[in-house]
Amino acid sequence: MNAASVIADARAFWAATRKEWRILRRYPGNLLSFIFWPIALPLAYVFQAQAFSGGRDDTMAAFMERTGTNEVAGFLFVGWATYMWLSIVLWGPGTALRTEQIRGSLEAIFLTPASRLVVLFGPAISQLVWAVWIFVVVGVALWIGFGVSIGPVEALRALTVIVVGVPALYAIGALFGAVVLRFGEVHALVQGVRGLFTAVCGMSFPIIVLPDWAQVVALSLPPTYLIADLRAVLLTGSGVGRILGDLAILAGMGAVLAVAAVVAFRRTELHARRGGRLAQY
Amino acid sequence: MGELRQEARAAWAIARKELQVFARYRLNAVNQVIQPLYQTLIPGVLLGATFAIGGQAVGLAETAGTTDIVGYLFLGMLALNLASAGFWSVAFSIKQELDAGTLEPAWLTPTRRETFVVGMTAAGLVLAVIATVILVLIGIWLFGADLAPRLLIALPVLAISAFGVLGIGYLVGALVLRMRDANFFVDAADFIFVALSGAAFPIVVLPDLVQWVSYLLPTTHALDLMRVSALDTPPLLPLPIEWLLLVVTSAALLVVGRAAWLRTEHRLRVRGTLGQH
Repeated sequence: MNAASVIADARAFWAATRKEWRILRRYPGNLLSFIFWPIALPLAYVFQAQAFSGGRDDTMAAFMERTGTNEVAGFLFVGWATYMWLSIVLWGPGTALRTEQIRGSLEAIFLTPASRLVVLFGPAISQLVWAVWIFVVVGVALWIGFGVSIGPVEALRALTVIVVGVPALYAIGALFGAVVLRFGEVHALVQGVRGLFTAVCGMSFPIIVLPDWAQVVALSLPPTYLIADLRAVLLTGSGVGRILGDLAILAGMGAVLAVAAVVAFRRTELHARRGGRLAQY
Repeated sequence: MGELRQEARAAWAIARKELQVFARYRLNAVNQVIQPLYQTLIPGVLLGATFAIGGQAVGLAETAGTTDIVGYLFLGMLALNLASAGFWSVAFSIKQELDAGTLEPAWLTPTRRETFVVGMTAAGLVLAVIATVILVLIGIWLFGADLAPRLLIALPVLAISAFGVLGIGYLVGALVLRMRDANFFVDAADFIFVALSGAAFPIVVLPDLVQWVSYLLPTTHALDLMRVSALDTPPLLPLPIEWLLLVVTSAALLVVGRAAWLRTEHRLRVRGTLGQH
C-alpha cells in the first residue's frame, strides 16, 4: 500500500460519508428522530423508575447500593444513549451493505479499486455525527430536565472510554457486514443480538441484579463494559485509572474481534465473488 | 344489509391476505411476539429489581397498588400490542401497497376505501390478541405472574377497544397517505400512546397535565380495568366511569379517525396523487 492509494482511499471514505449524509438530509423526518428518541426513550424509563421507587427512601437506597449512584435519570439516560449509539455503530455497516444490495449498486461498488474498509465503514462514519449528537441531546436534557451537569473533564474521560471501545464495536459491525454478504436478509439476527444486548448488558439496570449465568454472558460482551465505564466516569466521578482493568478487557476484545472480522469478511467476500452472489438478495 | 355483508366479506378477505403475508415471514412473526419481551419487559423487570427491598417491589405497591411487577408489566403488553395493531398494521400495509403500486388498482374495485382499513386493522387485532395471549402465558409459566383466573374481563374490554384501535388505524392511514414516508411519526406516536396508556408504569407518576391526556386514551382504561380485575390494583377512577370512558374514548377516536380518513381520501382523489410514493 503506497501513499497515493492511502490518499485515494481517504477521498473515497469522504465521498461515501458525504453520500450518506446527503441521503439522510433528504428525509427530514429522520432528523427529528435524532432529537425525539434520545429524550423520549430514557424518559419513559425514568417514569418507570419513579413508579418502582414509589418515593420511598429505602427503595432509593437500594438503587444507590446496586448502581453506585443516586442519579436515576443520569443512570438511565447514559445507558440508553449508549445503546442508541451502539445500535448505529453495530448495525450501520451491515445495513449500508444491505441497502446497496437491494438498490443493486453493491456489485458496481465492489468493482471500484476502493478499499473494502471504505465500503464497510464509509457510510457508518456519517452516522457518527449522529452518535455525537445523541450524547449532546442527552447531556442537554439531563442538565435542563434533571439538573445533572457533565463537565469537560467527565466528557473527556467518556471520550477516552469511547475511543477504547470503538475497535470492538466496529469489529462486531464488520462481522454483521460479513453475515449480510453471506445470507442477505439478517433482520431477525440483528433483532436477536440487539435483544441479547438489551436484556443483559445493563442499559436500564446494573448487571448485579441478573442471575449468575446471565452475568457471565453480560461480562463476555463489549457493550457491558462500555456502558458501565461511561456511567462510572460520567456519574460517579471515577477517573480513567479506576477503570483501567475494564478498558484493558475492552481493548483485548477489540483486538480479537477485529482479527475475526477481517478473516470473516475476506472469506465471505471471496465466497460471494466466486459464487456470483454479490448481486443476489 | 346486503351491501354491509359484502363489505364485511371484503374486510375479512383483506385481513386474511394480511395474515397470510405475515405468516410467510416466520422469523419476523416470532420476533414480533418476543420483541416486547426483550425490549420492554426484561429491562423493566430488572429495573424493578434494582429498587426492590427483600425481593419485593414495595415502591410499586405505593404507586400502583401491587408488588407483582411481572404481572403488571405483562398485562401492560396488551396496550402495546393493541396500539401496534392500530399504528403499524395499517401503516405498513398501506405503505407496502403504495410502494408496490397496487393501492390504486385495489381502490378501483367496488369495495369501499374504508373497508381496506377495517381489514388491515382486523388483521392487526388478531395478531395483537395472539401475541398478548402468548406473552401472558410466558409471564405466568416462566416468570410466575399470578394473573389467570379473572382475565375473562379481557373479552368485553378488547371488543370495545377494537373500535378505538380502528380509529387509530384510520388516522394512521390518512397520515401515511398524506406524508408517504411517515415512519418516524407513526413510530413516535405509537411510543407516546403506549407510554401514556400506562403500559410500563402507572400514569399517576406522570405530570398532572399529561395525566389528563392519558385519560383521553381508550387503552388507559382498557389496561386499568384488566389490572383491577387480574391484580386487584385500585382503579384510577370508579369502575362505572372507567367503563363509560372506555366506550366514549373508543367511539370518539373512531369518529375522529374516520373523518380524517375520508377527508384525505377526498383530497387524494381531487389531486390525483394516490399513485405517488
